[in-house]
Amino acid sequence: MPNDRFDWHADIRARVAPARLHPQDEADVIEEVAQHLEAQFADLAPKIGTGAARARLLAQLQGPELDDALARRRRRARPTRSRTWSVTSFARDVRYAVRSLRRSPGTVIAGTAALALGIGLTAVMYSIIYGMLVKGLPFERADRIALVYYADPAHEDDQIPLADFLRYTQQQHTLSSLGGYFLGSANIAGGEQPERVTAVRVTSGALEVTGVRAILGRTFAPNDNDPAAPPTAVLSYATWRDQFHSDSGAVGKTVRVDGTPRTIVGVMPDGFEFPRALTRLWLPIQTPTDTLRPGQGPGLTVVGRLRDDIEYDRAQAEFAALSHQIAKDRAPGTAERRAVVEPFIRGLVPGRVYAVFYTMLVAVMLVLLVACANVANLLLDRAVARTREIGIRTALGATRLAVVRQSLVEAGLLAALAAVVGTLIARLGIALFNSVMLKSESYFWIDIRLHPQVLAFVLVMAVAASFVSGVLPALQSARLDVNTILKDESHAASSLRVGRLSRTIVAVEIALSSVMLLVAGFATKSMTNLRRLEPGFASADVYTARVSLASRDPVRQRQFFEGLDRELTAMPGAKGAYLGSGFPGTGWGGGRVAVEGRVYARPQDYPPARTLAVTPGFFSTFGVPVRQGRAINSADVLESTPVAVVSESFVIQHFPKTDPIGHRIRLSGPRNDGEWLTIVGVVPTLFATTFAMHDVWPPEVLTAFWQERNLTSASIAVRGPPDVATPARIRKVVTALDAETPVYATAPMTEVLAAPTFALQIFGTMFVIFGTVSLVLAAVGLYAVMAFSVSRRVRELGIRMALGASGGDVVRMVCRQGAKQIVIGIALGFVAGAAVVRAARAALFGVAPNDPVVFAVVGAVLGGSALVACIIPAMRATRVDPLVALRTD
Amino acid sequence: MLTDELKKGSAEFLILSLLEAESRHGYELQKLIESRSDGVLTFNVASLYPLLYRMEERGWIVGRWVEKSGERRKRFYRVTPAGRTALEAQRESWKEFVTAINRVSGVRYA
Repeated sequence: MPNDRFDWHADIRARVAPARLHPQDEADVIEEVAQHLEAQFADLAPKIGTGAARARLLAQLQGPELDDALARRRRRARPTRSRTWSVTSFARDVRYAVRSLRRSPGTVIAGTAALALGIGLTAVMYSIIYGMLVKGLPFERADRIALVYYADPAHEDDQIPLADFLRYTQQQHTLSSLGGYFLGSANIAGGEQPERVTAVRVTSGALEVTGVRAILGRTFAPNDNDPAAPPTAVLSYATWRDQFHSDSGAVGKTVRVDGTPRTIVGVMPDGFEFPRALTRLWLPIQTPTDTLRPGQGPGLTVVGRLRDDIEYDRAQAEFAALSHQIAKDRAPGTAERRAVVEPFIRGLVPGRVYAVFYTMLVAVMLVLLVACANVANLLLDRAVARTREIGIRTALGATRLAVVRQSLVEAGLLAALAAVVGTLIARLGIALFNSVMLKSESYFWIDIRLHPQVLAFVLVMAVAASFVSGVLPALQSARLDVNTILKDESHAASSLRVGRLSRTIVAVEIALSSVMLLVAGFATKSMTNLRRLEPGFASADVYTARVSLASRDPVRQRQFFEGLDRELTAMPGAKGAYLGSGFPGTGWGGGRVAVEGRVYARPQDYPPARTLAVTPGFFSTFGVPVRQGRAINSADVLESTPVAVVSESFVIQHFPKTDPIGHRIRLSGPRNDGEWLTIVGVVPTLFATTFAMHDVWPPEVLTAFWQERNLTSASIAVRGPPDVATPARIRKVVTALDAETPVYATAPMTEVLAAPTFALQIFGTMFVIFGTVSLVLAAVGLYAVMAFSVSRRVRELGIRMALGASGGDVVRMVCRQGAKQIVIGIALGFVAGAAVVRAARAALFGVAPNDPVVFAVVGAVLGGSALVACIIPAMRATRVDPLVALRTD
Repeated sequence: MLTDELKKGSAEFLILSLLEAESRHGYELQKLIESRSDGVLTFNVASLYPLLYRMEERGWIVGRWVEKSGERRKRFYRVTPAGRTALEAQRESWKEFVTAINRVSGVRYA
């Protein structure tokens, strides 16, 4: 019966195909069912006829139950999760990766080094952010500690006047404790030697907010703030230890603060620093408040602790409503100000600090990304070298997932190594950062260490890095077509495609590096500009200090400072001695002035000027010449006509066409209550820093220190050889005059001048580090790609040389290939970098955001290093012996 | 519903019993069940293979392609140790079930 033998395969395949089984399983099912139907047909056909038999069997084949069978086969066809991700298969992958990585130590070292640098830098940056902005205050339930302040863009000052604070204390219900403070300093006497310390004036409640209790005695009670109450003080642990030798009976004893005896009521525990680092003393605010109206009284920083059942938005709503009420009772004409309740750190640290640090975190993550790109390239090279192996594995039934995982495991191993090395790098970096940052005391809670959270971050970064650097090579390997690979003897096709990917990665690396280098370049140029700046005064060989008198007696004060001026000037070897309200550069006061005879309609029309009260020694100590008229001299005393010396910038602004000498100005601006000062001289404009570094040559006014009515403290400067102008000698002179007056803030003038630019320097230095690291990484990456490409083209280059191409031709050809990526990378980086620099132009100093020199230098450095990375492999290519090249596989 | 479950359970029971002595291929199983039940129980490709694949998935039976000289390779199923355990268990419960039915209904086997 020849027509009895149907071929069932086609019918079954049509039925089975939609289930998309694994090819092998599909073949098995088709074969099994076909045999079954064949046999059944052979039995059935003779009984009911071929046509009917075939129809019946075909109908059976359409039965829905078969789908169930196919579904079971499909589940079998896919490797089950447990099988692919079982511990044993994972261990096998790790073993395999270790073995294969051990064979190429170059990859391991290069990859680990790159990732370790990236991870290390990122960890340093994150630990800074964590320790400063995230971790919070070192107190119990510190997230409940709130800062209350007035938000008003029109006012610089966001503090809350004492009178307002009292109203809040009486009327609020959302905070369990509420206190206010303002910072200051005080002279302590009674112990070994007089000391000038950070002293904080507080209301009762301010220390309670922290939840920390005194180790001896108590903190302040509300009646300590009573103006009539006997003066009290709370000591820090350090003061108690150093001045009172840890005397457990210190409570009840007396400490002399600024000459006033105060009863010690308590001692705080070791390490308690609130509200700023190095606080040594807490004093109660005893300002009379009976007559104060809202808006009056000293400005307080207000802190509170949220009640347990209250959240920030509730407290915020209450305080906003209260501030609205309080505003109604304010003196007419004053603007209404809205109270804001925020977590302490969030409220205290300016938003731009957050912005700067998070920007830097993003920057280091970009460095890490460059490192990942490098590792991705290294692994891609390996993937290409292993295409045959992968092809064979796939042909033998390895799933795509298995191939991908193998590559990811390799990247993961590198990242794990890098995480360990990176953590060490982070430790070093953190130690370095801490040693530099110890100078900052404003953020007392800063605690930058390898906290567990930082280590967790490192772990996350390592996992992310291994994924980012492993996934491209992995997908590339998995996408390879088995047949092409196994047929492709020279790897031409596969390396071509992978090569394109590598080159894209390198272009991206170069782009990222150029962004970083641009930022570094602009920061460096700003720093150099600042350093090279001619401030208009001398700072070499000038040593500075500050003194503050305990005595409130104006006659004694004047006697002391006059004596000090005389003794300092008489110091053997001294070339000049200065006393004044501050130092030029950083110590300028500010305010608005009025020029006699001019009319100013509104308060903001009074022009701003920076001011400094100086002794006659100013001009010799700081080497400031007088351009016109005379300097401030010893005849300018309290009894004589008040005088001023103005800067050339002041003259340009206010007396562009007239002689300023003899004109009169007033420093009190819109208040109209100051004395008129007669301009007697003109000096060159002196450097004056401002926080944002915008106008460093503002209009300036020098006044006579001896014409100040109230002399309580002074900045001292002595100019002389290093052995003359020393803190010890200054201290000796001061102590001889008054044993109770401490000398503090001693520093060379150069350091004083550098202090305001400190943040910029750190920022700039970090970006120089980031930029250099990413430049090196990009150059290494480019080198690897070029070397790889040259090694793949040995035969082609050999043929070219055999046909007469010179070494120069080959170098040019290879370099041309690399040049494309370099140019594209730099172009992309410049576009992005220009945008970044433009956004951060407030931080620039003396350089425009489109400064062509910076762009040119960065372009040259990047292009140069990239070209070198190209030329080395190209040179190697020219040494190829055509005969050898032609024989290679 | 109960009968469906019964039939499905009994089909697995039958297949396991048939495979206990020797391994067999799919069509052989179908024919044996049909002939030994005198045509009361019938199977076709759509009903047999879901059963076989499910039992294979459970690990009761294993299908292997066997090549005998001069013949096309065929897929033979054999019982695994797990399958034997299942078979014993089913035999026990079947016996209990039949005994119980008999006691209740008073039907006696000849």
